[in-house]
Amino acid sequence: MLYSVSHTTTYNYDAPVSYCHNIAVLKPRKSPGQELLEYKMQINPEADEISERMDFFGNYITRFSIQKEHKQLKVTTVSKLKRDYEPYKLSFQSEACKSITLEQARKNLQKTEAEILDAKQFVLESIFIRHWGESIRNYALESFSPGRSVFDAAEELMQRIYVDFDFVSGFTSVSTPINEVMEERKGVCQDFAQIAIACIRSIGLPARYISGYIETLPPPGREKLIGADASHAWFSIYIPGFGWVDFDPTNNQIPGNQHLVTGWGRDYYDVPPLKGVVYGSGKSKLNVEVDITRIP
Amino acid sequence: MTVATNSWFTRYFTDNTYDEMFSPDLSVKGNWKELLENFKRLGIDGLTQRQNDIDWLLEENGVTYNVYNDPNGLNRPWNLNVVPFLLHADEWFKIEKGLKQRAELLNLVLKDIYGERRLIKEGVIPHEVIYGHRGFLRQCDKIQYKLDRHLLLYAADLARGSDGRMWVVNDRSQAPSGMGYALENRSTTNRVFADIFADMSVRRLSEFFKEFNELLVEASPEKLENPNIVILTPGSHNETYFEHAYLASFLGYPLVQGNDLVVREGNLYMKSLKGLKRVHVVLRRVDDVFTDPLELREDSHLGVAGLLDVVRRQNVAIVNPIGSGILENPGLIPFMPAICKFFLDEPLMLPQIASWWCGQDKEKNYVLENLHNLVIKPIDRTNREHIHFGSLMTKTELERLKQEIQRKPYHFVAQERISFSTAPNLTKGNFEPRNMVARTFTIAGKNGYNVMPGGLVRVAPDRNTLRVSNQRGGTSKDFWIIDSEQAGESPNFNWNRRSAVSVSGLADLPSLTAENLYWAGRYVGRTLVNARFLRMVLKQTSSTEIIPQQECSVKLNILYKAVTQMTGTYPGFMEKREDGTYAMSNPLEEIYDVILNSNRVGSLAHTISMFSSSYYSIRNLWSSDMWRVFETIQKLWRNIENEKDLTVTKLIKALNQLITRLIAFMGLIEESIMVEQGLLLYFIGLQLEHSMLTITKCRALLVNKQLGQTEYEILEALLASHESLNIYRYSYRSFIRIEPVINLMLMDLKYPRSLAFLLVRLQKDIARLPHSQRSDTLMQYEKNVFEAFSKLRLASSEALAITTGSDSHVREDLDKLLEDLSDLLFQTSQSISNTYFNHTYKQSQLVDQNFSI
Repeated sequence: MLYSVSHTTTYNYDAPVSYCHNIAVLKPRKSPGQELLEYKMQINPEADEISERMDFFGNYITRFSIQKEHKQLKVTTVSKLKRDYEPYKLSFQSEACKSITLEQARKNLQKTEAEILDAKQFVLESIFIRHWGESIRNYALESFSPGRSVFDAAEELMQRIYVDFDFVSGFTSVSTPINEVMEERKGVCQDFAQIAIACIRSIGLPARYISGYIETLPPPGREKLIGADASHAWFSIYIPGFGWVDFDPTNNQIPGNQHLVTGWGRDYYDVPPLKGVVYGSGKSKLNVEVDITRIP
Repeated sequence: MTVATNSWFTRYFTDNTYDEMFSPDLSVKGNWKELLENFKRLGIDGLTQRQNDIDWLLEENGVTYNVYNDPNGLNRPWNLNVVPFLLHADEWFKIEKGLKQRAELLNLVLKDIYGERRLIKEGVIPHEVIYGHRGFLRQCDKIQYKLDRHLLLYAADLARGSDGRMWVVNDRSQAPSGMGYALENRSTTNRVFADIFADMSVRRLSEFFKEFNELLVEASPEKLENPNIVILTPGSHNETYFEHAYLASFLGYPLVQGNDLVVREGNLYMKSLKGLKRVHVVLRRVDDVFTDPLELREDSHLGVAGLLDVVRRQNVAIVNPIGSGILENPGLIPFMPAICKFFLDEPLMLPQIASWWCGQDKEKNYVLENLHNLVIKPIDRTNREHIHFGSLMTKTELERLKQEIQRKPYHFVAQERISFSTAPNLTKGNFEPRNMVARTFTIAGKNGYNVMPGGLVRVAPDRNTLRVSNQRGGTSKDFWIIDSEQAGESPNFNWNRRSAVSVSGLADLPSLTAENLYWAGRYVGRTLVNARFLRMVLKQTSSTEIIPQQECSVKLNILYKAVTQMTGTYPGFMEKREDGTYAMSNPLEEIYDVILNSNRVGSLAHTISMFSSSYYSIRNLWSSDMWRVFETIQKLWRNIENEKDLTVTKLIKALNQLITRLIAFMGLIEESIMVEQGLLLYFIGLQLEHSMLTITKCRALLVNKQLGQTEYEILEALLASHESLNIYRYSYRSFIRIEPVINLMLMDLKYPRSLAFLLVRLQKDIARLPHSQRSDTLMQYEKNVFEAFSKLRLASSEALAITTGSDSHVREDLDKLLEDLSDLLFQTSQSISNTYFNHTYKQSQLVDQNFSI
């Protein structure tokens, strides 16, 4: 499947900004079943200097600064992506994946292969996912019972979050503590992904945060609205002895071709789409528009 | 050893701990004998006198140590005990070798962790020790540096272990403090013990600081003879701010804050008066995560947005590199022997404090069983408030800690409780054994690491305290390495400093320093003028208490209102307060408040505190005389505040003293700071403030015409508060009248206190600012002052003295002129700020986030 994704972030300031430094994690990374064919970033006003590098996790980081006074910052990226995730999705249903139990997984995690060593850092606490309480661990234990297939347990965890949590935007912010989200049982896709990751880490397995997009399909017979698509987030669990498996607790599904990956890390902190430091007085207003179109 | 000296120590021992001076059989150890001989010669009184000299010197030089969250802690005096700590060169030789090895090793760890990570891949250290440590900054991964060594500055805390050897108890690598204090301690003991120094061969520190300076120059990414080096401080509230300022003035580099620096086109610049100036090397005292709000801690205002990217491009060197906080990691201690084997294939030389990392089951179980005997630390929080002493904890606390360890074992290390050795301290004419820790400093040189021959020794605040920390009011010692033979004459501190003229002129002055000097001038001017005015009003009040007259109350009414206008403490005497009360009904109470209430903006106390904080921020420019006079001002003010029965007479007396000391201080500023160092900015602030207050005063007292005697008394009061009564009498030899007063106060070009004179001076000074010299066009601030001066020159005192309308009492022309001048000078101040101090741009985040990393 070929997609064109356009993502526009606009900040309107009520007072002029004299200069700013910014970091964007918007260029889609190399990821299983996904290939970046074309990519373009447009910044308004034009950036005075811009550079790109790869971060610790293999994500593309774009850094730019604007030194002329401005009242609006507009960053647009257009990516052309080839996505074919079905073979991976299919492999999750295999015996090799499903047969690994919690005990086996924990045992495999003790091995010292490079891949396992690399995955193990995703067991530890991270900036937004830390100090998780008993309630999170207990919530996880309901699914991750002894002797059970890790894949089945993770799938059930995803389903339970989908059922137990309400999608309410504006209730949480990026820095809302994880225990508070657990208590309130509401939030947005970022929160659901981070809750799942906390649960998995609390029982000692690696999990990471995936940031990307999801294509929304209009109801049958209706035309698709512009800007209806959105940036999205989900989680991935590492099943030692098999590999990484993605789950989307917001939509209660295993991501397929409609999920497009931008970057991953320990949590949202590692892959914020756009952040920066601005110099000026006054407040800003944010607007984000995402459009995903299929290329025939 | 004679009985006399031994008797000093009769009550010395309390228990069987290891003592640095005494052997277990109570004989004095070799290298201490000579010192004791010298002490004996001085006698206990002589020695106490030397201690007093030290205390005096430290106070004179304003050596301080700030304590956070302690109202009395800001600028707490530094303590240095007269008895130094001695180590013989033979023992030091081994320690020095061990420190060099450890520095090299930690350097290799640092390079590996942010590079290939072979230590983790090959199983030498568990990944949690690194990945689970918040000091591991993934943003710093794979950064390349020009210098082969990444760890440039390393401090180790040493304490004597049970085997009698010096053990490493702490590694410090981000922005280690103490070097400046060690230097200050040495220069103090050097002065007090010049005779003993001549007698004993104590190693000198000068060579080390020369090497340190070379390191900073070498670190520059471009090979330059005079790279621009700055010292980055978190600011004057930081606990070791004294040291930052001290090192800055010792090394001759500008002391800057995050706001002084800016990143443009991949380079780091210092904002100076003239514009941006490229910076090549930053010696930082700001911790890792605060150095770059763009990539690291987003709510930090102590760093520079984009700094890490400049580092990545190798356009600036940071000493130490950002990310080196990962080495402040007791989780590494148990693995150091293996790391040493891995990298160097040799045994670790320096013993370390026994440590158990709880990430391993066996160790964890041991720790959980022996918790009450151990000291527990998180691997990434080694400062005091996060350390648990098992022996001091209750059962419940131990239980809670156990749960915490169980939940996140990899995050904890337990260490054995080490019984520090003791060293003698002179306390109230007695020697007492005190627990001690020595901080050593190691720096990267061209051929390996160099160690400071000495260091900073800290001892416990009393004989029963085990913990040694400056935070708890401990004291320090000079650290002497004693050679068996007299060393040759060693060079003094005046080495050929290649980059001594780093700040070469006014144009290169950091704009924050410039702004502080400007405000220092404004506040010192405001304090002086208002103190004089308030003194005059108090005198008037106390004399009218005796002769209450109708005219007096009209006069006082006007003077009281002027107090409010001069200080800006509205509503004050101008109108009723919100609760309906009126200051006029109890004027003395209001005047006391305007003088003493430090929480009231505009009050004398508040102005003094603003004046003090602007001076603290530029203390690297001070001379010791300035410090002393400044201290007397602070002390005087503290005494006023603590005075229970503060009568009007006492208050007037105190204001007299304040005024005298302020004038002394102002005189010292003018002779201690050079114009290129920013004195010009101070003068501009001072002239501007004097001008503005003169205008306010004249507006308050002269615009409304009064009747006969009252007008006379008001004019007299005005001249008195302006210290101009004698001049008036001398110049005019006449009854005091309005026209000559206007002339003297405002128009006189020859009288230094007149507005016209001040404006001439101001015009000259602002013309010397860097941007003023650019073209034939005047800068906005120049235009404003020029216009003000012209308006004043075009006016005449006769015309200004006239009231308009037959029954009007208002001198409208005078009022209009003064209003215009006031506006113009206000605009001047704005324009100077906008042109030269524009770092005041508010820094904010694109997405508001507030969390620690």
